[in-house]
Order: sequence, then structure tokens, then C-alpha cells
Amino acid sequence: TDTAHAAPGVMQGEWKSSFCTGCTTWCSLQVFVVNGRAIKMRGHEHSQTNSTYCCPRAHLALQQLYDPDRVKTPMKRTNPNKGKNEDPGFVPVSWDEALDMLADKIMELRDNRETHKFVLFRGRYTAVNSMFYSSVPRIIGSPNNISHSSICAEAEKMRYFLDGQWAYMQYDMPRTRYVLSWGADPLVANRQVSTALRDWGEVLDNARICSIEPRLSGTGSKCDEWLPVKPGYDGALACAMAHVILTEGMWYKPFVGDFKDGENRFVQGETVDEDTFEENHTHGLVRWWNLHVKDTTPEWAEKLCEVPADQIRRVALGFADAAPRCMVWVGGGPGMQPRGSYASMATYALNGLTGGIDNEGGVLAYNSNNYHGLPSHDDFIDSIAEEGNQKEKIDQRGRLEWPNLARGVSGGGVNTNNVADAMLDEDPYLPKVGMGYFANFNFSCPGTQRWAEAMKKFEFFAHMTTHASEMSWYADVVLPVKNCMYEQWATLSHSSHRHTSAAISSPMVDSIWDAKAMETEIPWMLAEKLAERGFDNLLNFYKTFKDPETGREPTTGEELDLYSLKIRTQRYWDPSKHQGGDRFNSWDEFKEVGCWNSDEYEYRHRWSNMGTKTGKFEFYSETLKEALEKHAERHNVSVDRVLEVCNYEARGEMAFIPHHENPYEWGDPEEYPFKFVDYKSRLNREGRSANCAWYNEMKDVDPGDRPYEDVAKLNPRDAERLGVKDGDKIRLTTPIGNIVTTAALWEGCMPGTVAKCFGQGHWAYGRYASKVFGQEPHGANNNDIIPADNDRLSGSTAFYGHIRLKVEKV
Amino acid sequence: MPRYAMVIDLQRCGGCGACITGCKYENNLPEGVRWSNKMTETLGTFPNVRYYYRPTLCNHCENAPCVRGCPTRALHKVEGGITAHDPNKCIGCRYCLVNCPYGVINYTWNKPHREWENDDAVIPDCTMSPREQARALNVPNWPLYNPDPDYNYQAIRPTGVVEKCHFCRHRVVNGELPWCVEVCPCDARIFGDLDDPDSLVNRVLGLFRAEKLRPELGTEPRVFYVREFCPCVYEAGKGMI
Repeated sequence: TDTAHAAPGVMQGEWKSSFCTGCTTWCSLQVFVVNGRAIKMRGHEHSQTNSTYCCPRAHLALQQLYDPDRVKTPMKRTNPNKGKNEDPGFVPVSWDEALDMLADKIMELRDNRETHKFVLFRGRYTAVNSMFYSSVPRIIGSPNNISHSSICAEAEKMRYFLDGQWAYMQYDMPRTRYVLSWGADPLVANRQVSTALRDWGEVLDNARICSIEPRLSGTGSKCDEWLPVKPGYDGALACAMAHVILTEGMWYKPFVGDFKDGENRFVQGETVDEDTFEENHTHGLVRWWNLHVKDTTPEWAEKLCEVPADQIRRVALGFADAAPRCMVWVGGGPGMQPRGSYASMATYALNGLTGGIDNEGGVLAYNSNNYHGLPSHDDFIDSIAEEGNQKEKIDQRGRLEWPNLARGVSGGGVNTNNVADAMLDEDPYLPKVGMGYFANFNFSCPGTQRWAEAMKKFEFFAHMTTHASEMSWYADVVLPVKNCMYEQWATLSHSSHRHTSAAISSPMVDSIWDAKAMETEIPWMLAEKLAERGFDNLLNFYKTFKDPETGREPTTGEELDLYSLKIRTQRYWDPSKHQGGDRFNSWDEFKEVGCWNSDEYEYRHRWSNMGTKTGKFEFYSETLKEALEKHAERHNVSVDRVLEVCNYEARGEMAFIPHHENPYEWGDPEEYPFKFVDYKSRLNREGRSANCAWYNEMKDVDPGDRPYEDVAKLNPRDAERLGVKDGDKIRLTTPIGNIVTTAALWEGCMPGTVAKCFGQGHWAYGRYASKVFGQEPHGANNNDIIPADNDRLSGSTAFYGHIRLKVEKV
Repeated sequence: MPRYAMVIDLQRCGGCGACITGCKYENNLPEGVRWSNKMTETLGTFPNVRYYYRPTLCNHCENAPCVRGCPTRALHKVEGGITAHDPNKCIGCRYCLVNCPYGVINYTWNKPHREWENDDAVIPDCTMSPREQARALNVPNWPLYNPDPDYNYQAIRPTGVVEKCHFCRHRVVNGELPWCVEVCPCDARIFGDLDDPDSLVNRVLGLFRAEKLRPELGTEPRVFYVREFCPCVYEAGKGMI
């Protein structure tokens, strides 16, 4: 028995380097390990980003590691029938047998020249993911590596068309004087939560903070002003703020420029001659004004968004008064709606007007993580693979109705949630063999019913996961994977406090499960199996991952795991490859510390060097214009036709500017009088912590929520009208389905809306997450009632703004 | 001998609950038991609504009603003014639960961590049962077992007695901060010696008018609260009749 505590008192153990996979911040962490057991978490003492600070998610990771319901052995289904009500009848199998089955299926595809019918789903991942996620499908011969990105954050990345960043941003909290937290919840969820918690006490002293969101969030509970915006009307509110800033002459002139004669011609309703204004680091301000903003008065917006005009005016002026030390922290809220792209751009445009971009106290890009590239798979693609790789991707990206303009490229971004429909329609084809890792799309994508049907259609599906989950339920084999925070070599990086830090994890705990590393060991073993069957390209590719210290080829999956990490981090520890930031003299030296920090961010280096078409911050987006025109050209149609097919209201020049679009809603307002507000818990490790006992026990750390419950929050006035009392069971019904949950009456919920947290309602995730594993969920999954819809320019799945519902007492 | 105290800066507190979770694993708390806890309140009517969060824990009162009322002296004062509990003397009478005006003493009705003695696997032969995992990890009853509190308390308290926050006495006497203070990502918890004029607790207490919970009872808590969870500004005015 491990009672290794040493007198006096505090146990001897070791703080080992790791990182957090609880959200996409990827904080640098340390784990306290005693006798092969992880027992404590903290932020990383060597990190200049989150430092020793970590949000509550990090602690929950301990219960994920030691979850009683982790899969301990590869297993295969014995019941050939697939379905929610079909127990797969899993029985243990050896790794050999499981991978033999998978390799046979892949070889069958190759023999039949239908390698494109192989699909790889990716959820969370580490920084060496490309050696699996990109390379395995390509070498086999499939274009189908499908990430989860479009259910994550694509809509907020529409900032790309203003400032060239298809990326997450960092926020210079220590220096800011005004924060508009817009559809974001920095103290709770995604992103930089640890850093936000650390800094917020001082931000409250130094800055004015407004939370713009339909519900009172964790961040909303610690701000100066809450602007409850009606779901779907963020664009109107943002454009009204822009109108005020311009008519009052409050834009930040060193960034934006000014009228040549200094006289402000931005007068409500009046067009302005473009030649009278000289821009500095922006492009198209006057055109934006003339096309839209001249008419977007606070009074106009009030009627739409229900925020009083005087409050809009006051907040806009206060915000601009703090310029340039001000930031709009844009989260998923405004953008992850059908037609959300333009609202996302409108909110972000305020950063341009006030110069709070790439500036002290504003919104900054990430510092580079300086990761070294991994070997290329190009030489290992044979003619069969080449043929398969040419086929259309299963998610239909790039079709007329799916512009998915990631980085301005037609079809440049993934279309995760459309895979279910594509499979059901067998259009462009029906995939046969699938693999999924750290993914659970039939739980995490709206319209779960479609996925339940689609998953049945795989001839063979291998799920790589720590826990059996809803996706495993449809799997033919389940391959247990290591928890990458504790059980293997891996790295992830993150940015905040004007630095990027990249931390590594290592096999630091005794693994009591027969699990393998998802992106290295399992693909290696699969590569060996394929080689045994006469196809050795994958194995030969992995053999090029030589240890940079010794030049040795890997001979096992464990060696591949280590060598790939050493290659990825080589610029940190190999002085001959050093490109900036912390410098280590050897792998051993770096391994001990476990965390590299970049150099400090240089303010204003992107001004007039934005990565947009003009290099400027584009209020009239030439970059979006070019992207849309190219997409239209590809399909031989006009841009207007693209917008029509994609369900936007904009036509003509409006297509290229931030503006308000009326929300597209599912359901008749008479029949479905409420709007649904989905949000994230401060305990959600993405969708994966519901089986942590602490998640359930401590759910009341989310404002308005209750322990051991999965409540839907109603404003007491609405509840009274409906005759619903606190604690009543209620049914929430949308045009696509219904869920039953517990009512919690809460004043922090905007009248006319129902707010409910995402994360529970797992029917197959373990003993705490489910009432009866495999049969009955604990709580209810929001995605069962959220209709599958999209913001098609960004490719983002819609989670907000479009969901009408009715509420009935059960 | 120091006089330990904690100052909680509510403005810094993010209401995240990391202190609650951190305490749970540092002190091996059974499910449902919180030594570190919180009180919340939502006041006002939409759209003028405020949500308040206040972390709570044992106040380590100078004049502790739990100590005074304990028939077996299981609750007693130790170094630095920490209100400690001796499970060997505790008879589980729960007078202290009644006497404590703050509701921060817990009684353990069930065998702690008994869920780890369960033999059911959700997928037989493919996932472990909790007992199987605990055995494989070579721990007495739960995977995160931390033996440290054994030093001067009991790592896991038995059934049928009370248990409470001891300011992480096992850490404090060894020169370490209580774990809830270490894990607070907001630096909202400040721990130190009231007798040291230079300690941060004294510096902060000298800056703000500190609040103690239910001061009228004369318990003299050693946990102080400063500032507001949500300080905010508003436009001045005289209101109207």
C-alpha cells in the first residue's frame, strides 16, 4: 500500500511538466507525481503565460485520468446490429487481433481501389497530430481527415477578413482600460481562462468591463455592465456602436486616420465622399459607413437587440474613450449562428475603429510556437493513394452551398457536422471504414439523431478513446488510448501575457490500462500490420522520424512517440536550430524543465502588415471579396447567388462589409415562443468531464446551476406565466426533438430565453455521466434539440440564435 | 507562536471553485463533503441582476463555539490558533455542528470513498471496476489518496465522526501554504501571521475595512473578507421621488 508520506508532513514527490487538454487554451501545467501516481495539479512554474495559475478544469483532469470507467483493453463488438438500443456486446481482444481486423479492412479498400472510403475523425489532439491525422489517410489514399474544428470556433475566426488572423487571439488584460466581452466568457470558458482568472481582479480596478450576452455569465457576474442582447442581434448592436463612435468623432485616429481637413463628416444618414478621408492602417472605412453604418443608429438597434439606445451610446463612447487600450473579446456567441459571419466581423470591427488591435491593452495575435516541422509523407504516396486522395472530401466542403472560407480559400475549412448528412445521402459516396480519436461527434454535434443513423452505416469503425462513449457504441473495435496529459510524450502550446509557452508531457504515471498513445503508438502498430500485408509505405514513413540526437530510426511505437516529440521541439533544445525564445542546450536539459517560452510580443508589428489583401485592417474586406469571387467563379455563379444559396441576406457590396443580418430561426415564433441559449460550464473539459464525480458534485460553481443536476434556466416571470416552479420537470421542444430536464428559475436568464449548459446527457460515458450506462443519460444533451444548421461562410456549425423552442411542464 | 489568518479578496475571487476542488483532493474528502465551500446569492430583477459568490471555510475562530461545546475535547486549538479535530476522541455527537454558526463542520454518515469498493464494471471484462482500479494503483481506497494529512490529522477520517478544515495544518507547520491558497488562480486567498506586522495579511487588512462573518456572535473569526465580488461604477445621481 502506498503510504509513502514522509515525516514531517509533506510528501516527497516530483512536479512533472504537462499541459491541459480541458479546453483549447492548452495551459502549461505541472503534475505532482508520487510513486507513479498523479495526485495534484498546478500551473507550470516555468511558463510565462499562465504561470503557476490554472483554472478548475486542470484539477478535474485527475479524475479523468483515474476514471473508474476507462477502457482497459481493446475490445470488439459481438452484436452485429448497430443502434442506440443495441448493446454492442463488447468483449476484450488483444491489440493484435483488433489491429488485424482494422488492417484487413484497410487492405480491402486498397485492393478494391476505394481508399477514399476511409475516414479519420479527429477531436482533441496534440501538436504531433499531423503524423496521424494528415499522414495516415493520405498514405492509405483518402482525402477524409475530418477534424472537429467547425463545431469549435470557426465563426470567430472570420476576423481573418478584417485583420488576416484565421486564429485564436490573445488579450492584453494587464494593460487594458475597457473590455467588451462579447458572446465570450473569459472567466469560465475558452480561452485563456487561467490567465483571465489571474488578471481579472486588477482588470476590474483598471478597466471598465461590459458583458454582452443573453444570460448573466460567470464573467457577467464580475463586470460593470451587463448588456443582455437578444439572441441573433449582436451585429445590430455592434454596428450601432460603430455609428456612435464615428458620428461622435471618437475613432482612434493614429490607427484609422482622419478627414483630410479634420472636419467630421460622419453625420447620421449622410454619405461621405471617400476622397475626403485619409486612412492610416485601415481600409474602406468610408465605404463601410456609406453602405451601412450611416443608418445603424442606437435607436434602430434598440428595436432589434433590445439593448436601450442610451446604454448603447454610453458604452460605445466609454469604449472609444479608452482607445486604444480597449478590446472586444469576441467569443463564439455572435458568430456561431446561421448568417453569423457578418455579426462576428461587426463585433470585431470595433477593435479596428479604436486601434485596440495589436496594441497595448488590446487584442493580439499569438506569438509563434516555433515548433519544428515533422517529416513529409509526400514520398510515401503511391498511385493507388494518389487516385484516392483526388476524390471529393466526404464533408462536401467547397461545394456552392459550402464555401467554408478558412483563410480565404473556397472549401478551405472542415464541415464536421455535415458528414452525417453526406453519409446518409451517400453523397459524394458512402465511406466504409472509419477511425475516430478523442472525438464523439454523435454527442457533440447538433442534430444527434442524424449521427445515430450515419454511424450505423460504417462497415467497420474503430474508436480510439479513453472512455467508451456514444461513438464507441457504434464501433466494431474500441482501442484504449493513453491520457496524453500523463501517460505519453506530447506537447501543446498556448499564448497569453504576450508570450507563447509550449509544455511537454511524458509517461509520468504508472499506466494500469493496456492503452497506447493515439497519434504515435497506435498508428505505428497499424503500420506494422499493413506492412505484414505487403503495404509498407506507412511504416517506412514512420521510420523517417529519426531521433534527432542519435539519428536512430524508431523500432517501436514508444520510440516513435518520443522521437516525434523531440523533432517537434527541436528548436527549443538544439542550439543549432534555435529560432528565438528560451534556449536549452540539450534534450535532457529541456526535458527537465519541460516548458519553452517565446520572446515577448512586439506591439504594432502587424499594423499595415495584417495579412489581408491590402495589408490593412479592412472595414471593407477586399480579402472577403476576393474569396467570395473565387468561390463564385469556381461554380460559375455570381457572388449574390452564393449568398442566396448560403442563406445570407446580403447582396451586392454588402457581402464584403460587417453588417447586421436578421437571424435565421428554426420554428414558428407562435408555436415555439422561446429562444434557446446554450453555454459552457467552467467544469467542462470540452464535452469530456461529465463522468468526473466532482463535475456533478460541484456543478453549482456555474452561476444559476445546481449540483447533481442538469437544469434549464428560466426567468421567473416566464416561469410564472407557464405555471412552472423551481425544480419542476419541464420538456423543451424544438422543431427537431425534445428533452426533459429540471427547471431552475433565475433572474440571470433573459425573459423569452431558456439557458442550459452543454456537457451532460451522456447515455454511454460512464457511471456518473449516465443514469444507466448504455441506456439512460444523466441530464439531457442540448444537441438533441439544436437543429443542425451552419454559418456557411466560416463553415461553423450553429449553436446560437436559430433555436426556437417551447417549454411545457411535464 | 504565529497567529494564522486568511484574507479573502472578493474582488480577485473569480468564483471558479478551484479552492473547493483543490481541498477535496488535498484532504481526501469523500463525495458530498466540502471543507472549502461557498455561498452564492442572485439579487435584483432582470436586467439589473447581480450574482455574488463568497468562498467559505472554517473560520478558525479565536473564540470557537465548536471547541467550547465539544464534550470530549476532540475539537481543540493547536499551534497558530488552528481549530483542529481529533477523530480518535470524536464520538460523533455532532454538538459542534449545532454550535458552529457557519455550517462548516461535516459529519460523515457513510464509509468514505466507499464507491471505490464497488465491483461493477460498466463493460464487464473491458473496463475496470472501481475496486479493481484502486487495487491496481495500490492505494487504500481511492486513486487520488494523499497520505499527507496523516501527519497531524487523519488522511481519511472514519465513518461516524465529524471532519473539518484544518488550514492544511500538515502543510502549514511545514512551511507550506494551505492548498486552497496555492491553487487559487486569482490570488484571492492570502494566508499568513497576524503577529507579523509585515505579513501580506496585515498589509491587506490595513488597506481595507475587513468583514468577518457574523461578528455580533463574538466568535472572532480568523477568516477576513475584503472588497466586493463585483465592484462596479455607475453614473452619479440623486434618484427621484
